[in-house]
Amino acid sequence: MSPHTKARLRIAALLVVAVLLQTTLASDLRVFGVAPDLMVLLSICAGMLGGPEAGAWVGFWSGLLMDMFLASTPVGLSALTYCLIGAAVGGLRSSVLADRRSLLPAAALVGTAAAVVLFVGAGDVLGQHQLIAAGRSWLIRVAVVEGMWNAVLALPAGYLYARAARGSVGVERLGVADAR
Amino acid sequence: MLVLAALTLVTIDARSHGNGVLGDVRQKVSDVFAPLQRATHAALEPVGNFFTGAAEYGSLRQENQRLRQQVAALEAQGATAADAEQRASQALAELNLPFASNIPTVLSPIIDQGSSNFDNSITIGRGTASGVAPGEPVVAAGGLVGSVLAASRDTATVRLLTDPSFAVGVSLQGGNVGSAAGTGPSQPLRVTVDTTQLPPPVEKPGSLVLTSGLQMEKFPPGIPVGRVAKSVTPPGGSEPDIEISPAVDPAGLFYVQVLLWSPA
Repeated sequence: MSPHTKARLRIAALLVVAVLLQTTLASDLRVFGVAPDLMVLLSICAGMLGGPEAGAWVGFWSGLLMDMFLASTPVGLSALTYCLIGAAVGGLRSSVLADRRSLLPAAALVGTAAAVVLFVGAGDVLGQHQLIAAGRSWLIRVAVVEGMWNAVLALPAGYLYARAARGSVGVERLGVADAR
Repeated sequence: MLVLAALTLVTIDARSHGNGVLGDVRQKVSDVFAPLQRATHAALEPVGNFFTGAAEYGSLRQENQRLRQQVAALEAQGATAADAEQRASQALAELNLPFASNIPTVLSPIIDQGSSNFDNSITIGRGTASGVAPGEPVVAAGGLVGSVLAASRDTATVRLLTDPSFAVGVSLQGGNVGSAAGTGPSQPLRVTVDTTQLPPPVEKPGSLVLTSGLQMEKFPPGIPVGRVAKSVTPPGGSEPDIEISPAVDPAGLFYVQVLLWSPA
């Protein structure tokens, strides 16, 4: 089995573990009623550490996995959102941002807030008006608190993603091959 | 290409209203993950409880003090409790209140308090294998929690009554009926008065509001929905703006009951 295939399998396992944690533990970690979103965090980590392509692929599959547990929104909405955020973070990483893992918390904060806005905006355009029915103050609270939560969890999540993705093409190209 | 794939999935699922192929896939994935979720939830519950306790230390301390005072008062009433219970049972039997009558129920553990910050729902560890079906009311000791949104073999998703797409018919003062709708997490329910031939209801803050159970309603009558938090008639308006605080806070629940009931 090639190193790239092994890396993909490890990333898939990481996504499964993350969705289990999201659907069991994360809802207990609420601050001001807002829980972290581990799936979008992994998409951002993939973008920061693996580039736009990795960010898009991990974002798509992590969003799709999350959609399996959300009965109020259509399948594909989280996949669309996380794919775009992962790709955008990866694109900024390649073109504008420096090659420093210390930027991960900042990327998680901004990327998560953008993901919340994009999820609600795209959902509203696609007919999911219940997403905006809770009001602007709730949306702002979710964007800020979820962003801060993911900023706190960014470095350990980034470490785990880097360990899982070692040997994959994107990680090697950006010189973040091994987290030893 | 991925964006196109995601948009295609959204379109297919939205058009089928969750009942098509993708809905089936969702159910299958829920069934596969259900035992893993239960095991993970059981293993990590102490971690979650620790964090919840630490985050809510101040309010827990106040709640503890309040409960100590309540226990002291209840101990003083202990002698009359047995008599009151007997009277209540007789009254319920005579009145045949539906909430306390013979609707079969399924006791269900809560295995997920809500995976997303925009999903006002919980996941319970019982599904179609236990007789749970979409649309069935879900209650706890205090009253209405919500209704079953979707059910797979071993789990079910319950839409909470605070969800903006949730609505329930309620009985109001003076024979009026209305519709209580959710407005978001931790927000009161907003009541729209439906009857126009009767004098408008005059609801006192704190009064209990029950489901109306009228024909074609999705809930049996007599289930507590909440207590009136506010009832104000706007200037120039004929009907009052009524808000009710939900009777049950799902955040504090470990179990709920699914009523195996459907409208006649």
